[in-house]
Amino acid sequence: MTLKQKKLVALTVVFSLCMGITPVANAMHIMEGYLPISFCISWGILCLPFLAAGFFSIRKTLRENRKAITILAMAGAYVFVISSLKIPSVTGSCSHMTGTGLGAILFGPGAVSILGVIVLLFQAILLAHGGLTTLGANTFSMAVAGPFLAYGVYKLCGKCNVNRRVSIFLAAMLGDLFTYCVTSFQLALAYPSTSGGVAASAVKFLGVFAPTQLPLAVIEGILTVILVIGLETYAKPELKSIGFIKEGPTHE
Amino acid sequence: MIVIDKLCYQSNLRYVNAGEKFAFSVLTLLVCVISRSIVIAAIVLAVTGFLTVYKGQIPLFRYLRLLRLPLVFLFLSTLAIILNFSPDPMDAFAVSIGSIYITTSYANLRFALQLILTALASVSCLYFLSLSTPMTDILEVLKKIHCPAILIELMLLIYRFIFILLDIASAMSLSQKSRLGNRNFRTSCHSFGAIGGMLLIRALGKSNALYDAMEARCYDGTIRVLTESHPTRKQEIAWIVFFEIGLIFLAIFLRI
Repeated sequence: MTLKQKKLVALTVVFSLCMGITPVANAMHIMEGYLPISFCISWGILCLPFLAAGFFSIRKTLRENRKAITILAMAGAYVFVISSLKIPSVTGSCSHMTGTGLGAILFGPGAVSILGVIVLLFQAILLAHGGLTTLGANTFSMAVAGPFLAYGVYKLCGKCNVNRRVSIFLAAMLGDLFTYCVTSFQLALAYPSTSGGVAASAVKFLGVFAPTQLPLAVIEGILTVILVIGLETYAKPELKSIGFIKEGPTHE
Repeated sequence: MIVIDKLCYQSNLRYVNAGEKFAFSVLTLLVCVISRSIVIAAIVLAVTGFLTVYKGQIPLFRYLRLLRLPLVFLFLSTLAIILNFSPDPMDAFAVSIGSIYITTSYANLRFALQLILTALASVSCLYFLSLSTPMTDILEVLKKIHCPAILIELMLLIYRFIFILLDIASAMSLSQKSRLGNRNFRTSCHSFGAIGGMLLIRALGKSNALYDAMEARCYDGTIRVLTESHPTRKQEIAWIVFFEIGLIFLAIFLRI
């Protein structure tokens, strides 16, 4: 083979490898046993304030209205099921959305932090996405950072009178992207590069996961908008009952 | 619907005391993650694999397929750890791109191998737990170690609801498929939205119905269920203690 042919073969190998990888693009759970124990513990501790706040807010809601427990549980299961459904994708690959952005928009970020930790535990045990030791780190990126950013973006867009659908798209997409950035940063902190330290390592992790995560974030944004449109057409009374749409006539 | 959940109910280790299984897998997991040694990881991988496949009678093929699940993450992130972009080449190999090299050192490679094995061994620990212990048993253990009651209750309900919703969702997606609902990207996005919307309606309807049913049975804020008790066996505990102490000593020995 000439050099040119060799290069061509190498290129196709790389291409097919990349294509071979995308079929199982999941949300980025850090797998079991991948982080050193000190990082597992510190990320867990970092989550505690959010979890405690979420816990107390849930307990307060339940004291006032006992019926909320089944609705909360349904919300958790809804996020789990949405995140386990195969989503349509352009390449014919099989991928899943995180669903936490949608959860945060619908149910508020405080409740999602507690529901998120439960959903992550179930995902670790039932689906082997993520793990027990990395539960803290995953909780921070997926149940705390992502939802809070998504909720913030959503509220901010609401204040600035951005179109509702655009703001939902932005919230879900940015929430997903932020989750991916935080996860890369967590990995980089645990495994700084020998040449260039944490920053260089973060760039590497971001780069390696970008091909799967960037399209996923955009698709997540689009799907969340479609989901919310679907909810608004079919489930207006239900949305009112969970407080997503305020009582009274709503205008689109 | 969920493969792991189905398999764990078939496991021969299902009726072993849940606390024992929980303690075994969590302790082994901790030793494995803290020690991060290749030897420990290999031992753990072998022992948990043996217990799950031979003692639990989980089909080997299924087990291997499950172990393959996290490989994408493992592959991609280890790639990021191995490869370095630096102006001067390191000892293992170096590919030059302009003025910088994509390069790595043997120490890096060794570290990556250690990491991959540790991660796989940890996953096998997790699988030992999830392929032998149903979720409800794990919740019992969590209750015994004083996890807040509200959380346990929420988890119990979520676990139940997951299956209800998955059932509904799979029926809906099946009927969409049979009506060419996933013909192209546009229609499949539309179908996904429709599933999501209907799912929330059904979910809230079911949750209201469940609350009514619980209320009719005198629900007062706590769900009380009878639990099956599987007594601990001295022999099993002895084996677990023996194994964990051996593992810890080996880990300490390898460190020195």
